[in-house]
Amino acid sequence: MNVLTGKRLDRRSLLKGVGAALALPMLDAMVPAGATAAAAEAAPLRMAFAYVPNGVTIADWTPAGSGSSFEFPRILKPLEPFRNQVSVLTGLAHYNAEALGDGGGDHARAGACFLTGVHPKKTAGADIHAGISVDQIAAKTLGTQSRLPSLELGCEDSRTVGNCDSGYSCAYTNSISWASPTTPLPPETNPRLAFERLFGTEDFSADPATRARRALLRRSILDVVNERTQQLMGGLGANDKRKMDEYLTGVREVERRIQMVESDHKSFTPPIEKPSGIPETYTEYVKLMIDLQVLAYQADITRVSTLVLGREGSVRTYGEIGVPDPHHPLSHHRNIPELMDKISKINTFHVSLFAYFLDKLQNTKDSDGSPLLDHMMIVYGSAICDGNSHSHKDLPVLVSGGGNGQLSGGRHITYQSGTPMTNLYLSLLDRAGAQVSCVGDSTGRLPYLSA
Amino acid sequence: MHLGRHPQSTEIRRRGFLLIAFLLLAVTPVMAAPAGANSERFAQSVQPFLQKNCVMCHNAKLKTAEIDFSQFKTDSDAEQGTETWEKAVEKLRTNAMPPAGLPRPPQADMDVVLKWMDTAIARADERAKSEPGRVTAHRLNRAEYNNTVRDLVGVDIRPADEFPQDDSGYGFDNIGDVLSISPVLMERYLTAADKVVHASLYGPEKLKPVVVRHQPPSPKFPLVDKPLMNYDLTGLNLPNALHTTHWFSVEGDYTFRIALEGRRPNGSEPVQIGLWLDGKLVRTLDIDAPSDGHSIDLFGMQREVKLHVTQGDHWIAASILRLYEGLPPSYGGPNPSKRLEPPPPDPKKLAKIPANATPEQTATAIAAAQEKIKKSFVPANRVYVHFVEVIGPYNEKLGPSAESRKLIFICGHQEKHDADCPRVILTHFARRAFRRPVTAPEVKPYVELYAQARQQGSTFDDAIGMALQAILVSPDFLFRLETQEPTLKARSNGLHNVSYAGTDSGIQPISEYALASRLSYFLWSTMPDAELMHCAERHVLRKPGVLEAQVERMLKDPRSKALADNFAGQWLELRKLEYDRPDHDKFPQFDEYLRMSMRQETELFFEDIVHNNRSILDFLNSKQTFLNQKLAEFYGIPGVEGTEFRPVSLNGTNRSGVLTQASVLTVSSYATRTSPVLRGKWVLENMLNSLIPPPPPNVPRLDEETVGLGASIRTQMEEHRKNPMCASCHQKMDPIGFAFENYNAIGQWREKDGKWPVDASGKLPDGRTFVGALQLEQIYAGAPTQFAECVTVKLLTYALGRGLERYDRPAVKAIAQQIAADKYRFDDLVLAIVNSLPFEMRNGANVAQGVNHTT
Repeated sequence: MNVLTGKRLDRRSLLKGVGAALALPMLDAMVPAGATAAAAEAAPLRMAFAYVPNGVTIADWTPAGSGSSFEFPRILKPLEPFRNQVSVLTGLAHYNAEALGDGGGDHARAGACFLTGVHPKKTAGADIHAGISVDQIAAKTLGTQSRLPSLELGCEDSRTVGNCDSGYSCAYTNSISWASPTTPLPPETNPRLAFERLFGTEDFSADPATRARRALLRRSILDVVNERTQQLMGGLGANDKRKMDEYLTGVREVERRIQMVESDHKSFTPPIEKPSGIPETYTEYVKLMIDLQVLAYQADITRVSTLVLGREGSVRTYGEIGVPDPHHPLSHHRNIPELMDKISKINTFHVSLFAYFLDKLQNTKDSDGSPLLDHMMIVYGSAICDGNSHSHKDLPVLVSGGGNGQLSGGRHITYQSGTPMTNLYLSLLDRAGAQVSCVGDSTGRLPYLSA
Repeated sequence: MHLGRHPQSTEIRRRGFLLIAFLLLAVTPVMAAPAGANSERFAQSVQPFLQKNCVMCHNAKLKTAEIDFSQFKTDSDAEQGTETWEKAVEKLRTNAMPPAGLPRPPQADMDVVLKWMDTAIARADERAKSEPGRVTAHRLNRAEYNNTVRDLVGVDIRPADEFPQDDSGYGFDNIGDVLSISPVLMERYLTAADKVVHASLYGPEKLKPVVVRHQPPSPKFPLVDKPLMNYDLTGLNLPNALHTTHWFSVEGDYTFRIALEGRRPNGSEPVQIGLWLDGKLVRTLDIDAPSDGHSIDLFGMQREVKLHVTQGDHWIAASILRLYEGLPPSYGGPNPSKRLEPPPPDPKKLAKIPANATPEQTATAIAAAQEKIKKSFVPANRVYVHFVEVIGPYNEKLGPSAESRKLIFICGHQEKHDADCPRVILTHFARRAFRRPVTAPEVKPYVELYAQARQQGSTFDDAIGMALQAILVSPDFLFRLETQEPTLKARSNGLHNVSYAGTDSGIQPISEYALASRLSYFLWSTMPDAELMHCAERHVLRKPGVLEAQVERMLKDPRSKALADNFAGQWLELRKLEYDRPDHDKFPQFDEYLRMSMRQETELFFEDIVHNNRSILDFLNSKQTFLNQKLAEFYGIPGVEGTEFRPVSLNGTNRSGVLTQASVLTVSSYATRTSPVLRGKWVLENMLNSLIPPPPPNVPRLDEETVGLGASIRTQMEEHRKNPMCASCHQKMDPIGFAFENYNAIGQWREKDGKWPVDASGKLPDGRTFVGALQLEQIYAGAPTQFAECVTVKLLTYALGRGLERYDRPAVKAIAQQIAADKYRFDDLVLAIVNSLPFEMRNGANVAQGVNHTT
């Protein structure tokens, strides 16, 4: 491949990478009937972390009963179809999200602490300091084989400067992923840019027939202008010729690319159209981000990702489920039943979107033909228990996915109250093969995750 | 020590230095010496002088500043050194060399050497033939592409916004040599052609509604306990408002969601939000929230409204209307709330004093409760607009415009087309797209493309569309390929006969079509309109009076706004303002509205000079500008109310001309502080065309942490200049920068730099002194030749789309001289450029056969 610019190199290698992955065939549409050649390949393990802000109405979250005999309460009801792939974990805590003498700012601390287990430094300036997050530790092991070591997505505006909570930098409420104590990884919140990050800036069309037609058309067009330029060349001065040479190089490069598309039928096309921006409803927005996330796993572009369903302290309104009030003020419900009910509605809504994620993973075939969900380890939760009290104990936490046979679902596991959340992370990292001895404030491993 | 980031230009400066000394020469008339008179003196006086004073640094080994005087041994060596002498003359004349700290040569020796060098340069200039040069095939840049497509098919969809950034050279992004085509760009051209043709034949693509949030950093402003009685009732000019610009790609309905941040005291009436489009109040919305016990928490409270908006850029503002009204009566503000005000909290009740408390315990508890009440007091202005979201489009205007289809289907688009219709349509379109007549053989491939598509089953429109796409990616459209007149036609009027007679026969007038394109891309950044094309067609564009009339018409046309966007935007570096992020802590008053207002002031100022044919010296010292309330308040000029910009007299103020406009003062500053160096460099490069070379390597930088701590920036700079290595350039830049020290890094007047009183006095290297910017401007305006030549160089560079060369000097000089006759009027400058040799002609040498449309 004639590589002309650095930019080009990126994209070329990107497409090549994607193409190679697809040779395995990873996309349903590309799998020839009866293909089994790749089935022998063991599917890699993947991880995902999803965050919901402002805590939950904990009474509507915690199941009655424990072990495998429990009922999904109101908020978790949407998970019923995935009962055997989900465990509810009760009793975990983020001690380092507590004030510890730093005063207000529970939302910022919760956001920064959720995946790091570290007490963030109170500052609204550039001297932010938290810790490396569990997804980034995992990416060091799982991410070496994929093009993107990790993928950070979010469904709310991404601000990284200024004061967002009682003297805490917006970086803390904004980013749950931290590459180092001083390097937050702000989530990509624009689906269009997320798409481009995964698949490049190529203009795809979902319909192969349209693509073929367009390729043919472009070839004819390029033939005409190519000939015209050759004609021109004779009559031009040296500098003008140089410009026409550049032009012709461009023409040939595009022609070559079209040829490649035509000759290589397995070449990659993302099965969704490039998004134009942030969709008008939250449901569409989150589902689009989830689609992109699943696609990234499926095409093996990344094996670790995080999804922020709402930044900590979010004031999003949920008109589409009949809650027009901003989330954060509502979460200070002062135990007023109507307000708590509205919070439960939002919590349930979030969980239903998480169920969409699980559903997508369940119904997407991995390289070995089994559901993608079997090869996932997913954590869903918040670092605030209840928005009214800002408590960081007894956090709402779900674990899902088969973890390549290392995780079992279908249980409500109750740990001793105050058990570090980071013990869960350490246990998952063990399964991912990351050889670390602690994460944040972890004190050990969690039992009972595998049956 | 060195002062921060060194002002290094990112542009190509390949030949830029050629012009440095040239302009100095322009103010220093040189007596042409008879040939040969110099020959003895080099060996006798000049060489020994160089040996004694210069060669210790500027030798073959050290080559300080890339200069080696030791290479000049004989007279014929010396003849080759014109560029070196130009640099040397400048340094010697401004006392920049020998550097401070080294002994100064006697003035008599200096005079002899300077005279020799002046003569050597003048002779070199005489040897240099005046010639028009040749502009390299010029690819349309992003602005030109967008505008051209808009005028070609009548749809304004800005496809080039998706193209990679254009490279710039010589200060502008329309330089033929620099503009390149990458494969990525080629691909974008194909996509853009597809979009453009689709939009013009079938209307814009149906878009899915999307959400775009505009949320600036939280404003910082002083909180007040007591409401103000006299303040901006619209709220637009208060920091509580939010301003932004949004590009609406299509006309349609859009939802505007406005959210608040902050609190109001219990018992306040709802907050009234004003939603403004392009400075007009379009909707008023109430936002309320229940009390959370302590106060009314408005954080995240929001309202939506749907509005119909036309396509284009629109200025959106959301403000708090009558900010200090509707507060509880106890606040004592205007129009207090009619809601029930909760009784003031009783410290005794709040303190919950146990029955058996001692008097001391009671007092302590009450004091604590009072403290708590005080802390929970809600200031009168603690609410602001948090974000505005624009969601849409809905019910957007779809379908093609009749205008677009009329521009394309010129043979009357009925049910049936006759067999010749495609050829007629495509010939007409190609002629407009290529900006010149086209021949039948040229159009043939496009007609064949149409036929091919038809054969494959495409509809008539689709097949035409395919051919149109090909035209839009052909080099004839994407490049301005200039044709020349078949024969040399000497013209005797105006400037364009500047000594080209008798020069190389390769020099030819460009064709009238090429001239029409040069005019339209120069003044409008777009293709020539029908009238220009008609002039070229009838071969009258060069007829006396016609060109002048056309230029005048074009300057009056709204499309000449492109000059403000693209010429002024780059000459005055206004485009930088979009990306400047003045430190939010140090300059909290720098908000989006101020940024927009700053840019608009300078653009309107520039357009006023263009439209009203004012003198270009007004850039230096006009006592009139254009202000809205926001900027007038920022400048401390009373009596300007509302969002509309209007002419405002600057008499009696500390501002005049463009140099004291906030836009220019901001782009020539760092984010946290002023920089006399940057400002000095800005003035030298943009007003005097004197380029400052990059600093020598290994110059220590100024430790930013210490700036302003131990001394004023001026004192620190003066320390800096004690280093002779630095002094030669900094003594040119810094004093100019000092003149502007009364304006802070966002252009606001100040008397002090931190703790230190500002000293805005300075002395130019030639000895002229001044106090403050206004006096400096008078110095420049008083001897305007250098400034006039600078503006000429900038505008000519932009007009031609190429960097200027030695052979352009006579033209530049002549233009500047010519416009001096009538007060340096802008029209005269444009006309003189349009009539100049480089604009009218080109060197056709090395050209076997032009892109001759007669073949």
